[in-house]
Order: sequence, then C-alpha cells, then structure tokens
Amino acid sequence: MPWLSCNSRRIHYELAGPIDGPACVLVNGLTQYVKLWHPLRDALVARGFHVASFDMLGQGQSDKPSLFIDQSDQVDVLAEIIAKLGERPIFVAGISFGGVIALRYAIEHGDRIAGLVPMSSFAEVPSQLYRLGAAMRTGLTLGGTSYLQDLLFPMNFSSEWLEDKGYLIELATHRGWLINDVYALANLMESFLDFEPLTAQLASISTPTMILTGEYDFLTPRKLQDSLRVHIPNSAMVILPRAYHAFTLEKPELTAYLMARFAEDVIAGRWPGNRTVWVGPEQAGGDLTAFPAEFDHLRSIPVRKETPEPAHTERATAS
Amino acid sequence: MSPFLGPLDPDGRVPPRQQTRLSAFLLSAHGAQARQLAVALPWSLKNGWQVELHSQYCREIEIISLIGRSTTWVADPALPFMIWQWETAWLPGLAQGVADQSLALLIDLAAFGHAVHSVIRPAALLPEFEPHNNAFALAMKRIEFESGRLMQAQIFFLKSQQLVPVRDAVSAAVERRHRQVRELWDAMLEGMEIATSGRHNLAPAYQLKSAMAAIPTKIIESAKQ
Repeated sequence: MPWLSCNSRRIHYELAGPIDGPACVLVNGLTQYVKLWHPLRDALVARGFHVASFDMLGQGQSDKPSLFIDQSDQVDVLAEIIAKLGERPIFVAGISFGGVIALRYAIEHGDRIAGLVPMSSFAEVPSQLYRLGAAMRTGLTLGGTSYLQDLLFPMNFSSEWLEDKGYLIELATHRGWLINDVYALANLMESFLDFEPLTAQLASISTPTMILTGEYDFLTPRKLQDSLRVHIPNSAMVILPRAYHAFTLEKPELTAYLMARFAEDVIAGRWPGNRTVWVGPEQAGGDLTAFPAEFDHLRSIPVRKETPEPAHTERATAS
Repeated sequence: MSPFLGPLDPDGRVPPRQQTRLSAFLLSAHGAQARQLAVALPWSLKNGWQVELHSQYCREIEIISLIGRSTTWVADPALPFMIWQWETAWLPGLAQGVADQSLALLIDLAAFGHAVHSVIRPAALLPEFEPHNNAFALAMKRIEFESGRLMQAQIFFLKSQQLVPVRDAVSAAVERRHRQVRELWDAMLEGMEIATSGRHNLAPAYQLKSAMAAIPTKIIESAKQ
C-alpha cells in the first residue's frame, strides 16, 4: 500500500494503469476516499491512462490533522503526487472540493500539467453555497457522519440510480461512517468555508481546461462552474445530460470518455479552449453538441440571450 | 485480525471479556474527563465556552453511568495494570509554549477532551450487519454519537480568538494528546486481537458483488429489530 510523506503528514495514494500512458490525477471531494474512484479509475485505465488517486488530508487513510487544515497543505500533497509521475502529459481532475484544490494547483503550478478538469467545482463561495456548507457542517456535528451522508446521497445522485442501488445505500453509508471521522470532516469543511475566492486568479490559468458539470447539479449550480469558463482563457464547459453532482460514480464510463477525448485533443494540440459551452452525449462514444448560442445556458428554461454569442459550429474536441 | 468485536454470542452480544476491557477503558477516559471538568469549571460561568464545558461535564456523568449499567462485567486480571497506565496518562499537564500556566492547563484539558472524543470510536468496533439492539451495543453507539457533539466544546475553545496568539502551542498540545490516546486505545484493542486500522481496508459497498445478495436481507432484518 503506497504512502508518501508531505509536510510531516502521511498520505495514502494509489497508482494504476500503464506506466507509459498519459497520467491522470484524481482529487476527491468531501467524504470520498480512493476506493470510490475505482469505477472511474478503471474506465480511465481501460483508455490507456496511468491513474493516480489519493486520500485528501483529513479523509480516508491519510493523516487527519486534529484542529486545522489549510488548503495550501492539500495543494502541497497534490504537488507531491504529481512529482511522482515523472515527465509525461499529466492531467488533473478534481471533483467538488477536489476541483478547488486542482484549480489552486493550476494557478500556482499550471506549467507542470497538460490539462485541467474541474468537475462539479467552484472558485468562490457565494451566500447560497456558504449557507449550505455551514448547515452541512452543523448537521455533521449534531447528527454525525451518517446524517451528512444521508443528506449528500440525494444531492449527489439521480432517483433512478438511488432506486437501482437502493439496497447498497445503507451499506455505503455505514462504510463511509466507518472510514470518516467527524472532527476531520468538520476541519475539512471549515477549510473550504473560510477560503478566499479564487475567481480573480483564474485568468492566470493558461492550462487547457475542460469544465464538467452535471445538468441537474444543484449542490454547485452551473453559475458557479460557468464562472470558471468565463475566467479561464483556455477553457470550455461540457454539460453532462441528466447528471447530478457526483457523476463520476454514476457515469464513470461517460466521464472517462470525455476525459480521454480531452486528453487526446490537448496532446494533439487541437484543444480549442475558446470558452465554449457544450452538451455532452448521453453515453460514452457519442458526440458533443454545441449549446444553442441564442439561448442562455444558465437558465433551466429556454430563455434567449440578450446578446447572443456567435454560433459554435465546431466541436469542443476534435474527432 | 478482525477490525470488529466478536465473535458475537448466539444472542448477538459482544463477549463479556471484550465488553469489560472496552468499558474499563471508556470509564477511565470519560471518568478522567468528568473529574477534570468538575475541578476546572468555576461555580459562576463567565465565558461561552464554559457553558459548553458545563454541558459536557453533565454528559460525561451520563456516559459513565451508561457504561457501568450496560456492560456485562467479568474479572480481568490484566485490568489493574492497564488502568494504572491509563490513569497516569490522563493526568493533567501544561501545554508547552504557553506562558500563562492556568491557560496552559486549560488548553491541555481541552486537548485531552478533543482526543478522547475524536480518537475513541467504540461503535465502529461493532460487527457490521448484526442486530445491535442489546444494551451494550446501543450504549457504545450512544457514546460515540455524543462524542461527536461533545467535542464541539473543545473545538469552540481551542479555535477561539483568545488562543490565536498561541495557535502553534494549541496545535502541538492537541496532537500530543491525540497521539497519546491513540497509542493507548490501539494497544487496548490489539490486546483483544482487534485490528486497529482494519476498517479502512474494507471494500466500499459497490465493490461487494459477492456479498450483495446476503447484505440486504441482513440489513432489513436489522432495521426491523
């Protein structure tokens, strides 16, 4: 079981896939741990990626600082993991909290990676998200880890998935409760509630960036993720149809497919990165569709834009 | 080694020897907490965190009573030495690097409370998918659940503005108490042949293909009880 040491902290990580392939580092979200990446990891390995995943400080088997966790410590851990991958194209994908860490890494060390994939992520904590996060933290301390997980399951997944996996939910909740510790989760949540917005620094990210967002993600609404698209120059946003916040678990094949296309385009030097908005396919292997330029992609009803952008007739990623 | 207590008896109860060893540890740690809080709390409360600590003092008394009444006790010759070892470790100390001695004592007291309530997770030792409707199992669940709430008193104090100037000393004191409690907790569990990090090696639910058919029935049975 591999471990690395970072700032005197012990970090648990896993490597999988072909040694000579492009690398992908997966950065987890709240209450996640490396094993929950396995469906996406396996799908990426099948597409030729060398995949690194790790337990964020405060989660899983990594050390759990007792009182304070600084986001910069998480960035240091990510930097250590990336340093282990050597010279090769490296893509960093982070979901939710993990996406924030990936963004921070790209702001500080963007030249070291080939591509960035923030998923269900954000660069600022506006009032709605702050109050939601604060309420979740209160729920955690009053009701324990199981309460937080009970709250997160319906936020993260579709009804169809929850019904299909219904018999596993209680077991999954129990396993999550066993592995996570209340104080460590609370520290982790505080480190994200207190942070300064990254929005002003996003323009410094020159790394090719594909922003993945679920059509039905109401935990981190599209407006938050669109802010990444607007401010990161070399970016495009892909909306995953019928996807919620944790689509990496619900739709691992589709996510891996989009990431592999992105990596191919970046390595081939054909990633357009023109801040366009796309609708992803329903299944892996399908085509992306340009979001109709005359409509507002931030609305849930077809409202025409006041100032339409030029129509996007090319695909976000080349064939 | 298993990460859980057991094997359970036919009625689903944790073996009395394991109950005794575990409860003795909990009594020692929570008893030390209650004693220290009783001494540290002034008769007249002045600060917000003192209100939290008073609540904690009352809850600690409840926990001690609960452990005493829900455990099936048996003789354990190893306990006198172990209790001496635990009680020695729980003695109050001064947080290093804090000039004000009464504040240094309070920081150490809070650090010890934080460690007791965060490191010690007795409910996580109960075997999965077994009915936990007996008094001992429910008491362990209650203690762990309350711990999550109780440690907020320590967090409230240890992260307070008052302690910002000595934050490094606070962090060091908490880390030291965490390390100490974890070492004794792990040693106690290993003495019962319980793997201390085993729960981290369990597969997540979605990976349990072979067990899926059996698990729902057990969960449903457990839920009905």
